[in-house]
Amino acid sequence: MSPRLCAETSTRLPVYFDGELDALAAAELERHLAGCAECRAGLEELRELRAALRRELKFRPTPPELKTRISAALDRESADAHGADAQTAGGPGAGRVLPITPRPTARGARPFWAGAFAGVGAAALAASLALFLLVPAGVDPLLDDLVNAHVRSLMPAHLIDVESTDRHTVKPWFAGHVDVSPVVADFTDQGYKLIGGRADYFAHQRAAAVIYQHGAHIINVFSWSQEGKRLPSDTTRNGYHLAFWRLGNLDYCAVSDTGWDELLALEKLLKTE
Amino acid sequence: MDEKRARFDAEVLPHLDAAYRFAQWLVRSPADADDVLQEAILRAFRGFDGLRGSDVKSWLFAIVRNCHLSAVAQRERRQSVPLPNEHDERDGHAMISSAPEPETETMRRDDERTLGRLMAALPEEQREVLILREIEELGYREIAAVTNVPIGTVMSRLARARAQLKHRWQKEFDGEPQAVR
Repeated sequence: MSPRLCAETSTRLPVYFDGELDALAAAELERHLAGCAECRAGLEELRELRAALRRELKFRPTPPELKTRISAALDRESADAHGADAQTAGGPGAGRVLPITPRPTARGARPFWAGAFAGVGAAALAASLALFLLVPAGVDPLLDDLVNAHVRSLMPAHLIDVESTDRHTVKPWFAGHVDVSPVVADFTDQGYKLIGGRADYFAHQRAAAVIYQHGAHIINVFSWSQEGKRLPSDTTRNGYHLAFWRLGNLDYCAVSDTGWDELLALEKLLKTE
Repeated sequence: MDEKRARFDAEVLPHLDAAYRFAQWLVRSPADADDVLQEAILRAFRGFDGLRGSDVKSWLFAIVRNCHLSAVAQRERRQSVPLPNEHDERDGHAMISSAPEPETETMRRDDERTLGRLMAALPEEQREVLILREIEELGYREIAAVTNVPIGTVMSRLARARAQLKHRWQKEFDGEPQAVR
């Protein structure tokens, strides 16, 4: 039989590979894959290309001097904006305590797009508006806790309390430091390298964070005891994906800026461990 | 530190390194990448009040991309050299700003292995979707928001980019274009 006859290879296969097919179509394509050598080869090629790009593309880390320069520029900018803000909007509420959680109706007198017009190009504005419509603001404070814990962990010297690629080191460390005993495993072969553990505090308890590295990305897998509350559904906040699952008597949440398919693949690995 | 600044530092700055990675593959010289990042962060800060509950990373990437495009437009205005071969553009997918400047590009990518060099030679619109998908792991919808095109266009660009890269890769190693297998 002559090759390049299967239409799926160039249509739905890449979409499946990118994790963008809905569950029904994905199941259908998986059945198709079992019987189509051309699509299996195509899938392998897509995997190889992705692996090669992740392995071989070099990125310079952000130079520290550049970060310093940007920080200084922001200082000047916020000093200026502070003055302007006070005149036009009647004071920015500088006396208030800083809330990191987004406040849905904060500064209600000001239309939400007013700031965007000040400096952002039209296309970026359109993009931010589109995203604004796509992602509804959440209400569960747990989501904010999780995202904040993840973001905090990315700041220098916050990531890891116990640094180890060995599950037999990380797991016992948790026993003395948190209230739970989560699943800990290394999946280096599957692209998720265990790099350590950390104690965190949310959901009114000492929760555990197991940290994985996936390519250029850090994934925090948080776990805490169930409090009889409903598990939130998977969601995206501030550019981070949150995948939830329940195993034994613990609730888990993986947080990262990886793609959904990458995050869900780790969830699958941890569930079957 | 005022409230907006603190919120900006907490929500946007964690994406700084990712934005810099993206900038490196958009622009030609390291100095330009630095300038694009700095300009983008400042613009993001000015527009930050407009951002409520939306996807910060895609939003920041879109701004980085816009800064890059306006820098390119500015440079072109300054040089204002007419294009000699305007008829080339009738070709369906003209490779807009694809050819990298020979010297800076070679110097910058000298230490890189073949794939990096092949990537650098791809048309910009293909290069950026590949970086956003394969390295930054954004979904189609997020890439559409960053590049300001419909999702269908994202999918076709991604398909073209993967096919191009594969084609050039095979050419590199087989010495000649592969016959249809």
